[in-house]
Amino acid sequence: MGVQDAGGREEHDKAPDVVQSGRRAFLKKSFGVLLGLVSAAIAWPMAGSLVSPLYRKPKLHYTKVPGFGSMPIGQPVKLSFSDVVVDAYMREQETQDVWAIKKSATEVTVFSPICTHLGCHYSWHPQSREFICPCHASVFAVSGQVKGGPAPRALDTLQYKIENGELWVQWQRFLPGTSEKIPV
Amino acid sequence: MGRIGEWVGLRWPVKPVLRWFLEEDIPGGPTYAYVFGSSLLFIFSIQVVTGIWQLLYYVPSTDHAYDSVMYLRTYVSFGWLIHGLHYWGANAFVVLLATHMARVFIWGAYKKPRELTWLLGSCLMLLVLSLTFMGALLPWDELGYWAGEVGTNMAGTVPLAGDFLRRLWRGGPTMGQLTLSRFFFLHVAVLPALAAFFIVLHIIAFRQFRNLGPWQREKERRTGPFWPDQVLKDMVFASIIFLILVGLCAFWPAPITGPADPVDNTYQPKPEWCFLFLYQALKAFTGRWEPIGTLLLPAALVLIVFLLPFYDRRKERNPHKRPMAMTLAGMLGAFVVGFTIWGYYSNPGGSPSSSPVAPGQQGSPAGPPAAFGKAPEATKGAEPTGPLPEVQVGEKLFRSQGCAACHAVNGQGGAVGPDLSNEGGAGRSREWLTAQIRDPKSHYAGSIMPAFAQLNDQQVRSIVDYMMSLTAKGGGASSAPGRAAVQLAPGIEPAAGVQPPVVGKEGAPGRAAGIVGNAKHGAVLFAEYCQACHGLEGGDNVPNPGSEAGKVPPLKDISRALFDKNPDVFAQNMDRLIQHGAVPAGERPALQMPSFGDTHSLTQQQICQIEAYVLALNGVDRALIRNPGVAPPVFFGITAGLIAMAWLTLVVWGVRIRRSSTA
Repeated sequence: MGVQDAGGREEHDKAPDVVQSGRRAFLKKSFGVLLGLVSAAIAWPMAGSLVSPLYRKPKLHYTKVPGFGSMPIGQPVKLSFSDVVVDAYMREQETQDVWAIKKSATEVTVFSPICTHLGCHYSWHPQSREFICPCHASVFAVSGQVKGGPAPRALDTLQYKIENGELWVQWQRFLPGTSEKIPV
Repeated sequence: MGRIGEWVGLRWPVKPVLRWFLEEDIPGGPTYAYVFGSSLLFIFSIQVVTGIWQLLYYVPSTDHAYDSVMYLRTYVSFGWLIHGLHYWGANAFVVLLATHMARVFIWGAYKKPRELTWLLGSCLMLLVLSLTFMGALLPWDELGYWAGEVGTNMAGTVPLAGDFLRRLWRGGPTMGQLTLSRFFFLHVAVLPALAAFFIVLHIIAFRQFRNLGPWQREKERRTGPFWPDQVLKDMVFASIIFLILVGLCAFWPAPITGPADPVDNTYQPKPEWCFLFLYQALKAFTGRWEPIGTLLLPAALVLIVFLLPFYDRRKERNPHKRPMAMTLAGMLGAFVVGFTIWGYYSNPGGSPSSSPVAPGQQGSPAGPPAAFGKAPEATKGAEPTGPLPEVQVGEKLFRSQGCAACHAVNGQGGAVGPDLSNEGGAGRSREWLTAQIRDPKSHYAGSIMPAFAQLNDQQVRSIVDYMMSLTAKGGGASSAPGRAAVQLAPGIEPAAGVQPPVVGKEGAPGRAAGIVGNAKHGAVLFAEYCQACHGLEGGDNVPNPGSEAGKVPPLKDISRALFDKNPDVFAQNMDRLIQHGAVPAGERPALQMPSFGDTHSLTQQQICQIEAYVLALNGVDRALIRNPGVAPPVFFGITAGLIAMAWLTLVVWGVRIRRSSTA
């Protein structure tokens, strides 16, 4: 409602039948104040809900990864597991992979399967005992260290825990292309 | 600002339009009696703004509409307020609309030359009611789904074209995704656009013919300006309405009825309150008379309202001199209000004789009583004269004692216990059945069925009566296969074609864990499916011989391993057990948790309702607002404080100005 318009106000004030122009100005101001307050009380929540989801962080959780018990020691194995991925109100069952290298019944290294260069999925080459990314030929040692190619940092390790002989992994994504390991 | 205004003024008629819109001397002067029309405009603006804002989160799909609304309400800052304002705004809309129409009627303001203004307003009334009806369906919750089901069925009772009309509303033969899309299309695009158009026409007509003023001639001589005097009164009223709306959002949130579940017949649908009078009136017309209630009555009401200025053409406006009009309108109003109240307190499902309320029925905890499924289905095969009272009591007990959890319900399901849908035709004696209920191990030593020793003789007799009344249609073919399951202990035989369940915590939580259920409805389902083993309100210690604990774990003051203050985590912990079942630790536990999800004994919607109930038993609100932005009571406090302060300042200031001008 554009009733606050300056032009309209002048027009009214000049009208001959107006005696108490002070009173009228006061009524107009009162209207403006109330309208402003109510509008602000609506605008505030609207702005709040608009920016509300911008800085939410993904909730990290451990998911059981089957196949750990029967893994050989020192040999990288690709393990698949099913995880429920929550995106706002969407819950999707997704299959994820990790590369795991078992050291003992209680110790393991878990690598994210995503190359640290540009986000391709690398593979294991048993003859040379190297992880090689097919996209730009980044080469990683079993330890995850970069042996060659454009990769800016070692393979990303994932948090894990072993309970009752079972492996639980905390799935997480990291920003590719940076020398530092930054969670997405 | 002035220069810009001048520049625009030369190119667009700002001043003349504002003058035409605002400059008016109201006969009799401005008064609070005239604020209802503008308050409707205010509410409409709120509905538009909050409606558009909800689109940031809402999706019109049957599998995510409900979750998206609950996400908005619990996880988005101020989502509770934006959703709440839209919900309560819709309610206020209807109330204020009725008040506005009553005001116009009493003042006789529909008479020549204002017939079209009234007609346009009547169209707006229909639009608002349609918007209310369609909007309720969009969350795809129990309330909206069933209101839509009934509403579209009403369209189906129209003679000849009924089937086509029902399909037109639904986008097909049954309620589903296309129905939701159609309601969304109407509620969000078509009807608001139409309403905006009609509002413009309505206001133009109102401005053209001006305010009518009071009906007393002598009062008309005093006049007062519309702007700013009347507009300020309108604004004061709007701010009051706004505060009330915010208060309702903060302290009385919109109901949560749980996700729509077309399969669940334990939900008793009732329409939105503004349709309750029609709903109640509809009950009077059954069978071939049904179209009178579904079609003729609403059509007649609409015509009575629409054609008012055409059949009431006398010039007299004073309500005291229009006894006939006032009396008839009063009767119509009394009918609507009376039937609304009657409908509000009435039991769903029509005449009392058909609602199976057993006297002295056993525990339906906290939940609404008499809210169980309809009796007729369950007692199929009984005498044509209708089920005997004992049979009805027995059926109630069969449900409330949780027999249905393991045995077939109405001849369906029953993954754990044998199918009992033809028990009356199975050749068992009453004594055999009584013994089976009292002490199942007397027949099968390995039976996992609990002994129902807590029932008195009369109650056992009623259940036996109910058992004996169950016969398969056509008789003969008794369903023997399920019977073997009784002897299996402790392993549970999964239903045919179902993968053996991953037991308990090992399995992943199902879909239900992520859905916000309704604790009240959960209580009804709990009584039916869980109470037999977990006890009344999950608190009784039902013995479980052979298990380490010796009793079924209580659900009130639930195990700390399952409990969590975060409703999502709590629900997930429980959900694993409900979905996949669990075998209690111990040698040979007599009772074990059946898998309700994997076997499809319960729908995911039903499971989420039960979870909400168990959470509530443990003091956790499933619909807890995780991210309110500002806590609802605090937000109300701030808004109320600021607006009240403004009112106060304005009053004090106003009094001073008045004094100085009279001095």
